[in-house]
Formats: sequence, structure tokens, C-alpha cells
Amino acid sequence: MNHRKRSALAVVAAASLALVGACAPGNAGAPSSAPASAGASSAPAAAYKPPTITLGTAADSKGPAIPPEGVVKGGTVTMIDRDDFSHFDPAQIYVNTEANFALLISRGLTGYKRIAKGDYKLVGDLATDAGTPSDGGKTWTFTLKDGVKWQDGSPITSGDVKWSVERMFAPFITFGPQYVQQWLTDTDYKKAYPGPYGGKELDNIETPDDKTIVFKFKAPHADAGYAFAMAGYNIVPKAKDTKEKYDKEPVSSGPYIIKSHVVDKSLELARNPNWDANTDPIRGAYPDVWKMEFGQEATQITDRFVADAGPDQTAFTFYANTPAERLQQVLGDASLADRRLISPSPYGNYYYFNLDRVKDQKIRQAINYAWPAKQIQQALGGPQAVALPTTILNENTTVGYKPYDLFGKTAKPEGDIEKAKQLLAESSNPHPTIVYAYNNLPTQEPVTLVIKNALEKAGIKVVAKSLDRKTYYDSISQTKNEFDLYWGGWGADWPSGSTVMPVIFGPISDGGQNMSHLNDPTITAEMKKISENPDINAANEAWMNLDKQIQETITPVVVAENRIATMLHGSKVGGAEIDPQQWIVSPNTIFVKQ
Amino acid sequence: MTTPTSTAPEIDATSVTEAPEAVGRSPGQLMWLRFRRDRTGVISAAIVIFFFLVAILAPVISMVYGKDPYTLYGQDRPGLLNDFGYAMAPNGGISSEFWFGIEPNLGRDVFMQLVYGIRTSLLIAVVATILTTLIGIVVGIIAGYAGGKTDFFIGRIIDLMLSFPQVLFIIAFTPVVDQLLVPSNEETPVWLRAVTLTILLTVFGWAGLARLLRGQVLSMREREFVEAAKVTGASPARIVFKELLPNLWTPILIQSTLLLPALVTAEAALSFLGVGMGEQVPDWGRMFLRATQVYQNDITYLIFPGVALLIFVIAFNLLGDSVRDAFDPKIKR
Repeated sequence: MNHRKRSALAVVAAASLALVGACAPGNAGAPSSAPASAGASSAPAAAYKPPTITLGTAADSKGPAIPPEGVVKGGTVTMIDRDDFSHFDPAQIYVNTEANFALLISRGLTGYKRIAKGDYKLVGDLATDAGTPSDGGKTWTFTLKDGVKWQDGSPITSGDVKWSVERMFAPFITFGPQYVQQWLTDTDYKKAYPGPYGGKELDNIETPDDKTIVFKFKAPHADAGYAFAMAGYNIVPKAKDTKEKYDKEPVSSGPYIIKSHVVDKSLELARNPNWDANTDPIRGAYPDVWKMEFGQEATQITDRFVADAGPDQTAFTFYANTPAERLQQVLGDASLADRRLISPSPYGNYYYFNLDRVKDQKIRQAINYAWPAKQIQQALGGPQAVALPTTILNENTTVGYKPYDLFGKTAKPEGDIEKAKQLLAESSNPHPTIVYAYNNLPTQEPVTLVIKNALEKAGIKVVAKSLDRKTYYDSISQTKNEFDLYWGGWGADWPSGSTVMPVIFGPISDGGQNMSHLNDPTITAEMKKISENPDINAANEAWMNLDKQIQETITPVVVAENRIATMLHGSKVGGAEIDPQQWIVSPNTIFVKQ
Repeated sequence: MTTPTSTAPEIDATSVTEAPEAVGRSPGQLMWLRFRRDRTGVISAAIVIFFFLVAILAPVISMVYGKDPYTLYGQDRPGLLNDFGYAMAPNGGISSEFWFGIEPNLGRDVFMQLVYGIRTSLLIAVVATILTTLIGIVVGIIAGYAGGKTDFFIGRIIDLMLSFPQVLFIIAFTPVVDQLLVPSNEETPVWLRAVTLTILLTVFGWAGLARLLRGQVLSMREREFVEAAKVTGASPARIVFKELLPNLWTPILIQSTLLLPALVTAEAALSFLGVGMGEQVPDWGRMFLRATQVYQNDITYLIFPGVALLIFVIAFNLLGDSVRDAFDPKIKR
């Protein structure tokens, strides 16, 4: 026997030895049937409490921000994330990471003030309060605070606010929110007004003096105060507006100024000397310097925080979630307990029925009953990775949230096959075929298998159609698509059903968000009525009731599983909390421990 | 076999022919004789045959073992997987019931996944090897024998195929095939994916063999026995099949035994990259993919497909080496 063969055989032998000798410990944990008591030293079993968001008063709107416990001012904090921010111009901001960054360099009329953990108030940011409605909610008046300045020391005036809203009509603004523009003019607002650059003003934004600004909407909007809290409505200086270029060189009204920015690599912030903490009830702005690193993958970031070595001790991440395969390690390590942040997503996720194809409500209900929610949860990493909501509206972003459970998911999260069979027997077709379209992602393959398995037990034939990930959303949002069931998500823009229901059950169009193609005159009329209700509390309650009513009378969706984010931060970072609405670590309370 | 091996058990294979009481043996018989004396070769052959048997007998094994590769045991039965979806018993859930443990999250039986996974890998690899070899033989001989412009033209195609980034192409092309051939409301059938993979692996696999055979044919084309055949008026077909091909069997056989394990790995690699078989078909490459994600919590799940693939590829490669040694004892390494 020659050498080559001998060494090759040795490899085989060594490998077989490894096989025999390998001894991996078991994975401790309660039986999967008892999700409440998870793992020996895993995450606290306490149930997640959704945040309370209330309306603040003028007194609440006074600065400075309520400091988190043990706060220390000064120092340098590092933020590590995967993606750089593509936009700095407030009018172009819709994405949560960008909106979060905007908190550091720009301000708006209103914003959310953290009172305590899980307790938030909508307060005036630049304005003295969250806005005063009159004329039944059609007219909204804001008064600016004294002493609010741009980074060059010039005062922020009502003219700047008016300008900031007007420029959102300009053709080059394409990404930001659209609510206020539509309320001021028309659904197709870009046709109604071309923007301020041609010298034309919008008549229904009035500035009686330098401190007062009045918005006159076409219809009542009780939640306008919430709309102005979106980062997209943060302000831009009229005198220094550089149009398209502003996206790269913003002028700061917030506590920091961008000192340097290398695209996709790093960003550094220094203090803005003209920002006065006493005017700002929202931003703590405790560190002196912010350094941001981009281009790191979530697994890498998680491993860095677990190791907690050297400079990473003063680092945190905005958005890098612990990947599912690191979850047991991260949640099982007791020493990480005080560096863990956990929050379920604020998005509503649904498996939409295509109502044009699945016409029998009995079949839709049967699928809801048979739905293997628990198995999907298991496939995606268990109860610590995925929550199982039962309502259309998300608990994190609904003021006045009331849970309900129409399809017995609390009692039988693994699906009630008998009940489903019974409903199918009563339906028009006891053995229907359902075309389930799914995004061709590695995580979706096992989920699809689980769904197929469960529905087939109930006698439903499932055709699992894999769609290319690049064109997935385009394919399912075609109104004439050939699928029966598909996943989609939508996030509220502020904590109210008014930014969810009228969108996902609103106008049907190609590429639109009404993917179940629900078109019911009763529901549409009801949604219009609630939207224009001047009493915001009554409206919130009505949205919650409508949520249940829609699932009861139409059943256009199977409510999908909801991801739970688990994030880590360095041991010397204090005040890190996930903003439950934006699902991202807020910079407002961050400080560096000495 | 007519010749008892005991007649010359201690003598080196090459010297057998020179022995005075030599019995006439065909090259095939000689090869067999030499091969049987190569212990590595025999062991590898046994392993390879074992793998093939497992693949063929998978349904029988499943019946005896009492499990199938499709049922999600871990999900249907509480107490097998913990909250995070990992096996609760040590070693990835190995027990008298689940011999090789259970798959994380979905909870399928790992042993059955492995056994049926061999089928997927071997089926695709064997078909692709046969097709590759056939195309390689035909193209190689044509190029070598015809020469001139044909040779030049085929040579350039071979260059192109060899320089093509095949993995990237397959990743990009597979979804296109699905899009083209599958109606928008139909599932991609398992056979279509298998056929696509086989064809694509074949398309990118034949060039190497063809180039090798072309070289061999070129060197033989001007030899005396071919010249003699030409002079006696043999048709090109006769020359190719009766004169050239018998002399090419050695490289063909060696190449294809080495090609098969390469294709098994290629198929696993493609599944690993996400363009292999779907989730419902047991597949080694996909097991690997999942295992690399969960290895920190369930190292056992990485070991089984890893070791199985390692043993199979090494055994097949050693078999290829032994076959070459047996055919061509003059090469001393």
C-alpha cells in the first residue's frame, strides 16, 4: 500500500472515530407542549407586555427628557449594523433604521416621549404640545417653542415648518410618508400642487406669525398629532434647502451634527452646540460622540456582543437581530441576561386569502382552524423567536388593543383538524385545492412543508408554489394573480388602526396593499366613518371592533406568526431599549457607563 | 473465471504473463486479478456497493426500521424537541427509536433522511455520469479522429465550457427553468428539478472527458494498426468502434469512476446553495446547509451527513485509483 492511500484511509478511520467518540450534550428545555417554562436558564418567562401610548400635555412637552436610571453624560458610543442609511433628507425617510437615525440630527413638530419602560406619550417636540384641533378635527394649530435653533444658530420658524411640508410635494421626493399631503389636498397630491420651488405656496398651511402654524385639512383627522411624529415630517430649513443635495448634506436641528460619513462603512457624529436640552422632551443625547460601523452581518454582531471584548463593550446595534440559530445560546446564557433586549415586531403579518379565488368563507375558516401555528413557530425557532398573535391589528402599535381568539388558537395552537374537517364538509368543496405561494427563502421552505403537512391532514390539497425572492411581492400584489394564499406584512405608521385597516383592506390595485382583494361596501363605509371620527379614543375602540368583525364575517386572512427580536449590546452601554413601535433600539436613552 | 488464482498467488501481476506455464488471459481478466489483490480497492468497492445497496433498498430499510423520511416526528410528538426546536435527548436526539437522532426544528428522522438522501444524490449523479461519459466519448472521438476544422471548432466549444462559471450559471438558470416550464399556479414537480440538475451537470461536465479522449485519439490516429485498418478499406465507423474505442476503455472507466463522486459533491453543493431539491425531498446537501446553521447547538446533525459524504467520496475516489492501477500497472506512484 502506498502513502497516499494510507493517509486517505487514516482520514476515513479518524472520521469514523470522530463519529463514535462524538458526544454532544442534549438541549435542555421543557417539553415543547409547555412553552411558559422554557429552558433551564433561558429568557424570563414573564409574558410580554405591549406598550401603553397616551397623549401628553403641554407640561409633558417641556424639556429635558426623563433620564434613564444611572445615566452618565459624555463618552463615545459605537453603533454596529449591517446597512448604512440611504437617506438623510427627512422627506425621504420611511424606513425604521433611517427614522431612528433621524432622531439624532433632526426634529419635528411632535414625537414620542419615554416616560418609563413600555410607557410612552405623544408630546410636542418643536411644538409646545401635540397640537390643538379645532373645527371638528379639520384644523390643527401648533405653536413653536422658544429657543429652538438650527445648527448655525438661526431660529427655527413656522416658515420652515410650512416649507418642510410643502417641499414634500416636489417631484424628487419619492420615499416619505403621504398622509399629511393627501389630507391637505387630494389622494393624488402631486398633481394638486407641484411643490414650493416654483414660488407657489399651499394656501391651507397658514403662518400667522413666526411661532404659529395652522394646518387646514379637507376632512377631520383626529390623529394628525401622531402623523407629524413620523420622521418623514421632520423639518428642513427654508434658507438652506439644497433640494436633491439635501439628502447628502442635511442641516441639523437635533442634538448632533454629522462630522464624517463614508458610505456603507462608517459615520461619526459630534454635538450640535445650538441644540438646547431644555427645549427637547424626547432626546437625552447623553454620549458626546457617536461612531457607527456598517457592513457587519447579524451573526457577526451577535458573536461580538457575546464576546464583549474591548471596544465592543461600548457598542450596541440599532437593528441587528440575533439570528434564530444563535437564539438558544444567547437566551440560555444567564450572564447575558442584563444585556438582552426582547420585543415582538410591531408589524402585522398575514397569510392573505385571495378572495377572488377562495370564495367560500367556510373553506377560509377551515384553513384558519387547521392552521399549524405552533408547528410554524417550532420551525422558525420556537416561542422565543416567534409569537402567535390572533388579531389583525398588532398589540404594539394599537392604542386600546383588545385581544380576541376566533379560531381557538390559544387552546389548540397546533391546529384543530377535526373542526376544520367538519367545516369543510359543510362547505361547497370538502376537498379543495389551495395554491400557496411562498417566497423562495431558506427559512420559508420548512414553513411551507409544515403548512402543507397540516392542511393535507384536513383534506386540503396544497400546491406549494415557490416564487423568486426578487419578484415575490410584485407577483402576489398583482390583482389577477393565480394564487389562493400568500404571506404579506404591513406596519402601522402610528399607533392606530387608521394606518392599517384602510391600507390592507383599502383600494385594490396592482402593486397595492389590499392583497386579499376584500371589497365590501359595509366595511369600506365603516372604515371611512372611523377615520373621520374626531374622538380618537372612540376611533381606536372602533378599529379594534372592526378587526374582529372582519375576521368573523369575511375571514380574509390567516393571522401569521410574529417575529420576536432579541438584541444584545455591550456591557458598558446603558439605557438600551427596543422602541416597541419602530422595533429598533432607540438612541434617545443610550449612555456610556464609565 | 477459469484460472484458479492459487496458481500464482505470490507473484506480481505483471510477471504472471511471463511465467512459463502462463495461461492466456484477456486484459479484463488481468485487470480483475490485479484489482483483487489491491486491498484498498476491494474495501472501497465494498463500501461503494454498500452505499448503492442502501440506496436501492431504502424502502425496505424504511419498512424494517418503521419510520419514513417525511413524517415530522419532532412536531407531532411532544417531548422530542425543545422550545428552540432542538432535540432534547443528548447527541442530537439519538435513541433506540431514532438511531441517528432527529432533525432540528422540523423533527424528521435523520437516519431515514440519510438513507433516502443517498437515493437523491446517487440517482442524479449516476445519470449525469452516464450522460457525461457518453457525450464525452462521442465528442472526444469525433474531434480527435476528424481533426482539422471540426477539431478546431469542437476544441473552442470545450474551452468555452471549461471556462464557464458553472455554479453561478446553474444558480441563475434553475429559477428561469422553473419559470418557463411550470405554469404559474403549479408546484415545481420534483422530477423537473432532478432533470434540470442532471442536464445542467451533464452540460458542464462532458468537456473534460472529451478533451482527454481527443488527445488519446490524436495520438492513436497515426498508429500502424489504424493505418492498416484504413488500408484494408475499413469504414470510419469500424475504425472508431473496433480499433480506437477498445483502446480508450481504460481512461473512460477511470474518468467516470472519478466523475461520479465529484458529481455527488456537486449536487450536494448545489443543494447547499439553495438550488437543489426542495424541502420535501431528502437531500444531503440541504442537510449540510441546515447543519452549518445549527452546529453550535446540535453538532451531531452535522456529523452524520458530513461523515457519510466523506466516506462515500473517499471510497469512490480510492476505487477510481485502484481501477486505474489495475488497468495500468506500469504507473508507479
